[in-house]
Amino acid sequence: MSEPATLGEFFAGAGRGTLAALRCGGCGELSLPPREFCPACGARAWQPTPLGGEGEIVSFTIIRVPPAPLAGTAPYAVAVVRLREGVSLLGRVVDIPLDRLAVGLPVRFRPLTLQGQTAIGFGPA
Amino acid sequence: MRRVAVIGVGVTKFGKHERSSAELFAEAAREALADAEVAPGAVQALYYGNVVGGETEKQLHTGPQAASVLGIPAVPTTRFETACASSHAAFRHAVMEIAAGVSDVVLVGGAERVLNVPTPDSTAYFAYASDARWEQSVGLTFPGVFALIARAHMARHGTTEEQMAHVAVKNHRHGALNPKAQFRKEITVEQVLSSAYVADPLKLYDCCPFTDGGAAVVLASEEVARRHRRPVWVLASAAASDSMLMQDKRDLSRVPATERAAAAAYRQAGLGPRDVDVVELHDCFTIAEIVATEGLGLFEPGAGGAAAEKGLTSLGGTVPVNPSGGLKAKGHPIGATGAAQVAEIVAQLRGEAGARQVDGARIGLTHTLGGNTATVLVSLFGRE
Repeated sequence: MSEPATLGEFFAGAGRGTLAALRCGGCGELSLPPREFCPACGARAWQPTPLGGEGEIVSFTIIRVPPAPLAGTAPYAVAVVRLREGVSLLGRVVDIPLDRLAVGLPVRFRPLTLQGQTAIGFGPA
Repeated sequence: MRRVAVIGVGVTKFGKHERSSAELFAEAAREALADAEVAPGAVQALYYGNVVGGETEKQLHTGPQAASVLGIPAVPTTRFETACASSHAAFRHAVMEIAAGVSDVVLVGGAERVLNVPTPDSTAYFAYASDARWEQSVGLTFPGVFALIARAHMARHGTTEEQMAHVAVKNHRHGALNPKAQFRKEITVEQVLSSAYVADPLKLYDCCPFTDGGAAVVLASEEVARRHRRPVWVLASAAASDSMLMQDKRDLSRVPATERAAAAAYRQAGLGPRDVDVVELHDCFTIAEIVATEGLGLFEPGAGGAAAEKGLTSLGGTVPVNPSGGLKAKGHPIGATGAAQVAEIVAQLRGEAGARQVDGARIGLTHTLGGNTATVLVSLFGRE
């Protein structure tokens, strides 16, 4: 078993377009770093496992009143996306008209740069 | 474990204030001590809730500051931060201190000052209770968190924006009866539905306001409480947590921490949801009230929207929810909210709630939620 990825390593990979989850060697649970112990079985036996980045929207919102650091950038869409492998990611949805957003809509991961750092994004599948 | 009672409560007017959070707490605490007929010198500990003081007032260590302003600087004081559930967490730990026999009289409360900063700044400070790297990074706000829950609830159960609007209308109707409420005007379903979107599907009137205010309660051991005219007994106080991140929640239409805290509280008290006469719960957004009524077992999962629309949670309904006006109309000074909910339930169980009294209320429940539904506390109260 290798050491579980750090938060920084996860986002460094995401910035290069690569997503990697952790699969528990004890029970098979999928998780996202950083995580020491498996929330499902308590084991510490993580195996890195790549994610394809394809999924569908589980829920979404359109933020129209943004926090101060994002003043002037609204409206923008944020969604929880269930990836094909079974784990979910929260991210910005871009390049899809706001009135086309829907629960169940297929989307694909893409890295974004927001507030000077890599952030999770999704575009058309 | 020893029995614990609430023997005094105090709440400031909620709204905009020109005083510091410590001053607001001190006003509420003075009222609570007078109500309890307890001298300041009898207080053996202060458990205090305050959340964004570090940002809005450039002030940390707000617990001892509040104790100093109140005039009890030597009393052991601890500040709790569990986002919007802070003073309910403080309350639970104070209950345990008395139940364990460590102290006989403990002051609990909280205060918040937030209307002294512009809305984009307060929106950002509240979002600090979401995860910095995963959630703040993409601009998720608190209305956004509950919009994700609302959309999931709508998709799974067919809950409508109109049903959510009924929660706001009901809580404004109740708030109009509460002299301490921030908003004392009634609104209509049409007004809610035509208000601007903040985070779709939530609109301005689905959201509670930013609020300045303070609240305090005096807790006592049974021996002390027996000498008091009208103690209200703490029958249970339970806490539960859940994954911090929205992306880790298996079913966004539910709040498992509410379900777990409620189950623990009912078990402690030997009661069930049907025994509850009056509820003060965490309606930071209209959908939050609907999901909470389901999580507390008052209605089946998915039935909360229809229950609100039918008026079952209104004063005069089968289980009145938020007779104070709730966070929506009474206001939500986040560090004070948990204690303010206790103050309302105590007033209800004493029969002192005036125009918003729930007739014959004997068992009351408070429910407070913190952050991305990652912290929930539930407490149960009863009169003799």
